[in-house]
Amino acid sequence: MKLLDVEIAENKMIANGIYLLSFESDYLANTFKPGNFVNILVEKDSIYPLLRRPFSISFVKENKVFIGYKVVGKGTQILSQKKKGDSINVLGPLGNSFLIDKFNGKVAVVGGGVGIFPLLSLCHELKKAGNKIDVFLGFRSRSDLFFVEEFKELSDNLFISTDDGSIGYKGNTVEVFKTKIEEGNYKVAFSCGPKPMLRFLKSLNLPFKCYVSLEEKMACGIGACLCCSIKGKDGNMLHVCSDGPVFDIMEVEI
Amino acid sequence: MLEVEISGVKLKNPIIAASGTFGFGREFSKLIDLNLFGGISTKGITLKKCAGNPQPRLCEVYGGIINSIGLENPGVEAFVNDELPFLKKFNTKIIANINGFNKEEFIELAKIVSPLVDMIEVNLSCPNIKEGGMAFGKDPNRVYEITKEVKKVSACPVIVKLTPNVTDITELAKAAEKAGADAISLINTVSAMAIDIETRRPLIKMVTGGLSGPAIKPIAVRMVYECFQKVNIPIIGMGGIMNYKDAIEFFLAGATAIQIGTVNFVNPNAVSEIRKGIENYLKAHGFKSVKDLVGNIII
Repeated sequence: MKLLDVEIAENKMIANGIYLLSFESDYLANTFKPGNFVNILVEKDSIYPLLRRPFSISFVKENKVFIGYKVVGKGTQILSQKKKGDSINVLGPLGNSFLIDKFNGKVAVVGGGVGIFPLLSLCHELKKAGNKIDVFLGFRSRSDLFFVEEFKELSDNLFISTDDGSIGYKGNTVEVFKTKIEEGNYKVAFSCGPKPMLRFLKSLNLPFKCYVSLEEKMACGIGACLCCSIKGKDGNMLHVCSDGPVFDIMEVEI
Repeated sequence: MLEVEISGVKLKNPIIAASGTFGFGREFSKLIDLNLFGGISTKGITLKKCAGNPQPRLCEVYGGIINSIGLENPGVEAFVNDELPFLKKFNTKIIANINGFNKEEFIELAKIVSPLVDMIEVNLSCPNIKEGGMAFGKDPNRVYEITKEVKKVSACPVIVKLTPNVTDITELAKAAEKAGADAISLINTVSAMAIDIETRRPLIKMVTGGLSGPAIKPIAVRMVYECFQKVNIPIIGMGGIMNYKDAIEFFLAGATAIQIGTVNFVNPNAVSEIRKGIENYLKAHGFKSVKDLVGNIII
């Protein structure tokens, strides 16, 4: 990991309140693995927001790094107003990564909301490794859709669902996934999304391994502040930033 | 120019990483050179492994953060066996921050740890635990009693870390000095609370937590200033130091050394920037050393 001052190449709204930001960094583009995240200092010498903000790296293209985010508070609001050429300070790459392998069978990828971002590069690498992939994406509504074309290209089957039914299946994406488990004959699943969605996924007690990328409030991003602790299966404390963000879903309390 | 001394322990510069913000050094060592610090105060340790408080443990407010980590740590045995050997590789003084849930635990921890480190910091000020910590640290009699007992068994100098959550912090400072403390460090976080008005729930699971960051700096400077008038032992000042200017304020108020905490999360390079800043300030104002600044406020 390194501390990097980078210049924003592009920062555009790609869906309702959802942005995709990019910057050039040879170092990050070369060291990045799907699942890694960065801790961004949105504004230098600012006292509100004060802390860095963690964002997953969605994908890299040559030496360009792409970060997707949703405007939810002051930090992301300020970030959304940044223009091409503005400077931000980035700490990364941080955390562990998704397991990439040639699985002897189909892979399921289940994403909800902004949790979809880190799954794009994951699918890219899974595909490169020779896997067949079923992708399940959940959004609130039609106006919140993003990356659909990209996932269509990488997946063998793409299932879209929305909370309001304005496009695709109506309801929870895990519900859709549940109906396909038997015929899918999956060997492994990967997921990222809001906590209720991941809890639902865990409650399915899948007959195969499922790896999830988690999110918690964090200050340092490197395992020093212990703000992002979660409980492991054996009662041990795990840290989302340094032990994760990717965990075996059955090994952690969600 | 930057060297300072606390009870015979020479720090090559007056900047110490504050306990609870720097893990056991290992985490930051991948990013910055730990040799830059005059000292490192380790994450607070307890006799037994401690899981800490439930999530959420952190929220951000204007000018600061509220945390309620609750002393999550692997326990003293893991500290001695797994963490200390790593930290000892660096040219920096090691300060072990110790936390007991009763007097006996403080004594036991001091016995185990004090022969192995440069100084111990007796944490009588953690706001995020039910027993011990701030509950002891608010009462001058308890501060006196625990400091005295810890001092009896310690093989190295003893720093007592004080809480700001009292009417008069100088009473605690005087109690620590009377009991034989070699130095005091102040301030720990300020008891605080924040509420999400949409959910009407507190932003911290434990309802209240400890506020750190720039918001508490003026309170901390005032408390260092007040204690400097009342005690003769060195004061280590901390609370919202974000840059060298903040550090200079603490020296002028009476601090011999400073600790930096929250800023490590925001800017891991802070130690090196603050070090250079202090040096430049000394040169520009014709001071020979940090010692010349201590308590050198003009009223």
